[in-house]
Amino acid sequence: MLGKLSLSALPLDQPIPLIAGAAVVVVLLGVIGWIVFAGHLPYLWKEWITSVDHKRIGVMYVVLGLVMLIRGFSDVVLMRSQQAVAYKSPGFLPPEHYDQIFTAHGTIMIFFGAMPFIIGLMNFVVPLQLGVRDVAFPTLNSVSFWLTATGALLVNMSLVIGEFARTGWWPSPPLSEVTYSPGVGVDYYLWAIQIAGIGTLMSGINLTTTILKMRAPGMSYLRMPMFCWTALASNLLIVAAFPILTATLAMLTLDRYLGFHFFTDERGGNSMMFMNLFWAWGHPEVYILALPGYGVFSEVISTFSSKPLFAYRSMVAATMAILVLSFMVWLHHFFTMGPGGDVNGIFGVTSMIIAVPTGVKVFDWMFTMYGGRVRFTTPMLWSLGFVVTFVVGGATGVLLAVPPADFVLHNSLFLVAHFHNVMVSAVIFAGFAGYGYWFPKAFGFKLHEGWGKAAFWFSVTGFVAVFAPLYVVGLLGMTRRMQHYDVPEWRPWVLAASAGVIVMAIGVVCQIVQLVVSIRRREELRDVTGDPWDGRSLEWATASPPPAFNFAVLPEVHGEEAYWGVKQAARDQRRLREEPSYEAVEMPLNSATGVICAFFATLVGFAMIWHIWWMAGLGLLGAFATFVIFAWRDRVEYEIPAETVARFDRANRATRAEALASLRRRAA
Amino acid sequence: MSDTVSQDEGGDQRRHADTAPGDEFGQEDIGAGLRGYSIGLGLAALLTVASFVVLRTQLVWAPAIPLALIVFAIAQMGVHLVFFLHITTGPDNTNNVMALAFGVLIVVLVVGGSVWIMGNMNRNMMPMGPTAPMESGMPGH
Amino acid sequence: MSDATANAPIALRPRPDPNHLGHTGNREGSRAPGRGTGGPAPKRIVVGYGFWVFILSDIIMFAALFAAYAVLRGGTADGPSGRDIFDLDTVAIETGCLLLSSFVCGLATLALSARRALLFQAAMAGTFLLGAGFLALEMREFAGLLARGDGPDRSAFLSSFFTLVGCHGLHVAAGLLWLLTMMAQVLTKGFRADILRRTMCFALFWHALDIIWVAVFTIVYLMGVL
Repeated sequence: MLGKLSLSALPLDQPIPLIAGAAVVVVLLGVIGWIVFAGHLPYLWKEWITSVDHKRIGVMYVVLGLVMLIRGFSDVVLMRSQQAVAYKSPGFLPPEHYDQIFTAHGTIMIFFGAMPFIIGLMNFVVPLQLGVRDVAFPTLNSVSFWLTATGALLVNMSLVIGEFARTGWWPSPPLSEVTYSPGVGVDYYLWAIQIAGIGTLMSGINLTTTILKMRAPGMSYLRMPMFCWTALASNLLIVAAFPILTATLAMLTLDRYLGFHFFTDERGGNSMMFMNLFWAWGHPEVYILALPGYGVFSEVISTFSSKPLFAYRSMVAATMAILVLSFMVWLHHFFTMGPGGDVNGIFGVTSMIIAVPTGVKVFDWMFTMYGGRVRFTTPMLWSLGFVVTFVVGGATGVLLAVPPADFVLHNSLFLVAHFHNVMVSAVIFAGFAGYGYWFPKAFGFKLHEGWGKAAFWFSVTGFVAVFAPLYVVGLLGMTRRMQHYDVPEWRPWVLAASAGVIVMAIGVVCQIVQLVVSIRRREELRDVTGDPWDGRSLEWATASPPPAFNFAVLPEVHGEEAYWGVKQAARDQRRLREEPSYEAVEMPLNSATGVICAFFATLVGFAMIWHIWWMAGLGLLGAFATFVIFAWRDRVEYEIPAETVARFDRANRATRAEALASLRRRAA
Repeated sequence: MSDTVSQDEGGDQRRHADTAPGDEFGQEDIGAGLRGYSIGLGLAALLTVASFVVLRTQLVWAPAIPLALIVFAIAQMGVHLVFFLHITTGPDNTNNVMALAFGVLIVVLVVGGSVWIMGNMNRNMMPMGPTAPMESGMPGH
Repeated sequence: MSDATANAPIALRPRPDPNHLGHTGNREGSRAPGRGTGGPAPKRIVVGYGFWVFILSDIIMFAALFAAYAVLRGGTADGPSGRDIFDLDTVAIETGCLLLSSFVCGLATLALSARRALLFQAAMAGTFLLGAGFLALEMREFAGLLARGDGPDRSAFLSSFFTLVGCHGLHVAAGLLWLLTMMAQVLTKGFRADILRRTMCFALFWHALDIIWVAVFTIVYLMGVL
């Protein structure tokens, strides 16, 4: 009846996961209880859970990403403290638990921390920058988000019910085959990633279509803000790469569930094929995460240098070059598996070539700052921190792209330091830069600068303090994922890295304090005009927070930097544009399809993990029924009357007219 | 002169339009559409039959058969794309064709790259060759 | 077109190319909605294009399965190879079924744009029957293999064969379910704009499955018996 599920799935004999799991469950129940009893549930249901507004969904993505980043960071604290004490001793984490922690760290950080954070920013910003009212498929957007949340839920369930994979974040066979991993850990991984991956794929299709087919009148491709270009490249990569992951994980699933022989190394199976296919997704995934990050930095650096982005077209070309090149380098993840000199040589060269467009971007950012009036706000600090750390990480990457060097450094902590150096700076720094930059747009007030700067300095100092020693200890020969070690030369470096984590943790705390302080002082941090940074793209043309319909009338675009042009004209003519004639706006109705689908997806995932076949069937049936009911509905849109639109826009125009007047007073 | 002008207008009409794949551009009556589908069906059937015939007869030099089969398959995919999915070279189809080209590029990279990489790995790592059972190919057995 | 260009000597005028291959036409770019500067595209284009992108991603998923098949087809582990198990007569009938169903599905699209409900339902029913016939033949082939002990757990070759062909079959089955849903939708709701869009997407899906089948029967079956 319940498949493999029984009471022994609960970790009653292991204190650490039991206490951690119990604490999470208690906190979660407490939050849900508070929401229900304080009467917030109807509000949450109507305004957030069933919302198909891209801005709301974007914010929910970012919240999910931030929570999961903290969850992944707690794994870091465990791993670094284990290595700090595990010198010639077993430490406090037994190997089977330690293995689950580093697997969960990688999985959570990539799939449920970085991905939702970046997709959330794209979801929120792209339609606003394109000057349109929503993404191409609003309800699908909600389904995507809730499927991603389902994946995150399944991964975190494994903390309490059963176990997580012990294979590392790419479940390499034959270790991940049922012979060597008979437990449910790998199954948790497979179903969580598969379900979240479907959500990501649909979100990729959605944003690609939005960018290619829905732009404000006059916005040709070469007038799009840089962030939209990088979002386009990133989503094209999602569309092209995630199906490969889906197929690969499906093959591993068939191996585990039905005795297929894709990767078993028995009866003709070939475990190296898994590596090949996994990294054919895995390398584009790096750029799926990094490209939107580059876009955020382009926007932030240009805005806070008060200059247009330097060499916009070279940036576009570099982005598109990376899009194609990122599909030609995947072998550098397994140089040492023996494909031979020819293959290694060619992939080594392509891996070095991909550094060229990235280098073009670094120069473009630096020349954007050159000669500009740079304002050192928190988002700008994150961007500057990124440029410095990313160049170091990129240079070590070019080093690793040389196959002979890779034979020495493969799977050492040098490699670990390299990819954290690039991924954390290009993705997490970008995430926080974008978070600070667009927060006032989303909520109508700015984040507190002091706490933001504190968070930046602690995080970056801690980050360097963690990974600089890891480069050294990697060169000294320490491999990754060691539960204990007994080489005395490594000890000081490992301790230094652990001390760095403490500094980083202070940065995390500052980040949380910043949010709390900003909410409490929101009146003094209020953004009245909707353009707090003197921005250049269209998202700053509407109010903060924007109304559900984003723009009262779709803006007309007459050149690059659409909103800068509008402001320039207003300054020259000393008045705003004529008031447009307002019309009623049709917006899509809220829909519970997404969250109901996610409920059934959770059912299917959980049932498949525990071999409860009837429940899986029930879940699939429920999902199909949900779609049919959605397809049968008669009303899909509601109308916002012209007076409401006009009232909203007039209020916003008044604040901008006031800002223009004060500008003239100051000039006079 | 009037001929060129009318041609220009035809081009102009498509230049300022956008079509989705599968959309019949300016073909609302069944007859004209049916002709396209029938031509497609005929060509596709011809190519399919050709594939089977080439395999079962001695018409083509034996070592060239795989190449012939691939050529027929690609041609048939083209027929499907043009006559069933209405992908054309017109400007209103630019986005559709670009997306298709990107997809084909990725397919070629993934399939070609995998075969090339895995072929080399099998040669280098398994002295017995890929068809031998792995157990006996492993060192130490 | 301005009078100045119209009166220019014919020899100096560039030869008009109706498709504007190789250049984007006029200097200021296209004013088309969607791909040009004319603002957001109409819903029908947006939906069709989004679904087209989905189909391309699906094709890339099949590419990964094809790659696995190409790499593992030699891994027969002393079991049967393609030459021993493939029956080309069945494959020929399957191919015919799917090709005809693609054609009949095209008829359904035409009937839909001409708003002829009866013809539409008949064509969709024909598509269903041909698709179901294909599926039945494929299931018979699979059942035969399983009965002989040549199931997917026999060898890596059979694993990749069953997965690739089975995944296509699964798509056909999902397509049949979708087809029935669309017939019911047109029957109960009539020719509503959103239903027309969905049917267009279904037709795209069905034609794309036929394209994938061309690759399957060529690479798996025909080249498998060489």
